[in-house]
Amino acid sequence: MIDLVQNTIDGLMIGSSYGLLALGFTLIFGVMRRLNLSYGPSIMIGGYFGTVLYLQFGAGPLVVAVAVVVGAALAGLYVERLCFAPMKAGAAIASMVSSFAVWMQLEQAAILVLPRHTYAFPPLATGAPLEFGPFAVRIDHLVMLGCALGLAAAVQLLLYRTRFGLALRAIIGNPVAAHLVGVDVRTVMPLAFAGASAIGGVAGFLVLAVDQQVTPMFGMWATLKGLIAMMIGGLGSVPGAVLGGLLLGVIEVQSQWYFGPQIRDLAAYFVLFAVLALRPRGLVGSLSEASTQKA
Amino acid sequence: MDFYLGLIQIIGVHTLLGLSAYCVLLTGQVSLAQAGFFAIGAYVAGILTVLAQWPLIPALAVAAVVSGAVACAVGFPALRVKGLMLVVATVAFGEAVRLFFFNFTYQIQAGVLHLGPHGAEGFRQIRYFPQHGWSTLDVALFIWTVVALVMAGLWWLDHSRIGAVLRAVGEDELAAQSVGINITAVKVSAMTVGGFIAGIGGGIFAHYTTHIEHAQFGVVLATFAIAYPILGGLSNVFGTLLAAVFIQGFLIEGLRFMGDWRNLLFGGLIVLAMNVRPRGLLDAGTTRALRRLFAPRKERSGA
Repeated sequence: MIDLVQNTIDGLMIGSSYGLLALGFTLIFGVMRRLNLSYGPSIMIGGYFGTVLYLQFGAGPLVVAVAVVVGAALAGLYVERLCFAPMKAGAAIASMVSSFAVWMQLEQAAILVLPRHTYAFPPLATGAPLEFGPFAVRIDHLVMLGCALGLAAAVQLLLYRTRFGLALRAIIGNPVAAHLVGVDVRTVMPLAFAGASAIGGVAGFLVLAVDQQVTPMFGMWATLKGLIAMMIGGLGSVPGAVLGGLLLGVIEVQSQWYFGPQIRDLAAYFVLFAVLALRPRGLVGSLSEASTQKA
Repeated sequence: MDFYLGLIQIIGVHTLLGLSAYCVLLTGQVSLAQAGFFAIGAYVAGILTVLAQWPLIPALAVAAVVSGAVACAVGFPALRVKGLMLVVATVAFGEAVRLFFFNFTYQIQAGVLHLGPHGAEGFRQIRYFPQHGWSTLDVALFIWTVVALVMAGLWWLDHSRIGAVLRAVGEDELAAQSVGINITAVKVSAMTVGGFIAGIGGGIFAHYTTHIEHAQFGVVLATFAIAYPILGGLSNVFGTLLAAVFIQGFLIEGLRFMGDWRNLLFGGLIVLAMNVRPRGLLDAGTTRALRRLFAPRKERSGA
């Protein structure tokens, strides 16, 4: 019983980072209706930017965090300019293939800057885990959960309480109509894209700080985890993204504990497949009906 | 010379992989499961020739049938979802297959060697070609015979009523349904044919590389599979062939002299190609223009 609860706690902590990744993903998909395979690699570029500052200039965690977020946002903007802005409305698959090509580019760029397979990343918080009776919680995990919930709440407020959010939701609902009533689609879209990548950057920083290492493979990992969490929760929904992430984390940790590490990822894919087959819209309904259109 | 023959083999196998995605894409489905079917074909064919000592062609046939059957079984639940959901569901399937082979061990002792798949280490010693005295040229010719057969089959399919039905579903599902096309049947059949072709490709791949492991069949290979028909264009099968030659021959081998900078240029060139030609290198317009270029001469020779 103690194991079960402890695993659930660990799963929720790890899952909060998946939730953040899913949050950025869901914003991009909501606005663009296209799949951005370069989402994770953009975050990885941010991570490498932070690592370079840490290794070369001994930057502290706060500077590194800012560097990762800014780097991810800039890399995201690069992807948007190259793969999403110039493509016409009908060429959604062309965007996806292009974003795959940019993924190769970003990964190679990271290897050119830092050629070894892994590099150290500054830890977020060291020290003994907090103990609550029989249960233990790592401090950096707690920070991760706090950041995830805080950012998700901020995004939800931004979407439903500000003019920018209104413009964004108008675009998500119908880009042409939004343009006709005077929403500046050409400005809002890249901003949303960069913002979504920045949210991914926060998630990336937290995960890298917990793992204390960065590799070029991190990009693919982030894309896959974000994608799975987003789909479990339901496309285009902020609570859905967080819920999907937390659920994914719990599933992974529990299955690893009871069936061994080989089964961990397999269990995650199995649950995803089951959710998609039984509830194609995910566990939580989506922001708008239209966001389930062709990718 | 062997280097070029090797390259020709790689292009042939990747063309098969691309063609398997082409079938599925015709119905408007973006499937990232093709690498999974390819992996199933590779392991099944390898197990049959190495462990059961089967000849190659029956082994390939069984591999294709198994992959096709799995594709058919996956098709039913997966095709309930559309667009992005389908992409993700197929990613999930492909990764699940990869993780299955990551954990799959089935070995037998043969003299000093242990033969068969061995989990993370992969499946070594698939030595059918060297054991039976096939030269690199023989293998290359064999691969391209298969590619030609598959392309001819798909070409015929494309120009028959079936091709029209597939494209109708791909262009507008609602319209296709309203004229009485059974969409589920069409999509699942396309998926099955795609799985079948991927199984053949995978089986051949296992035999010319002689060593397969789970990491080769990941998301990257799956994305390559759909990149060929998309980059090449969906107007006919030659687009996929052209794209496989372009990517494997030019972007990957041709630019090898660029060393570490190759992938940067590789990415840039694909983005450029997709920006300039969002519907593929050989889109309907180009095909029509080519036909116009050659058609008058044909009429004259026929007269």
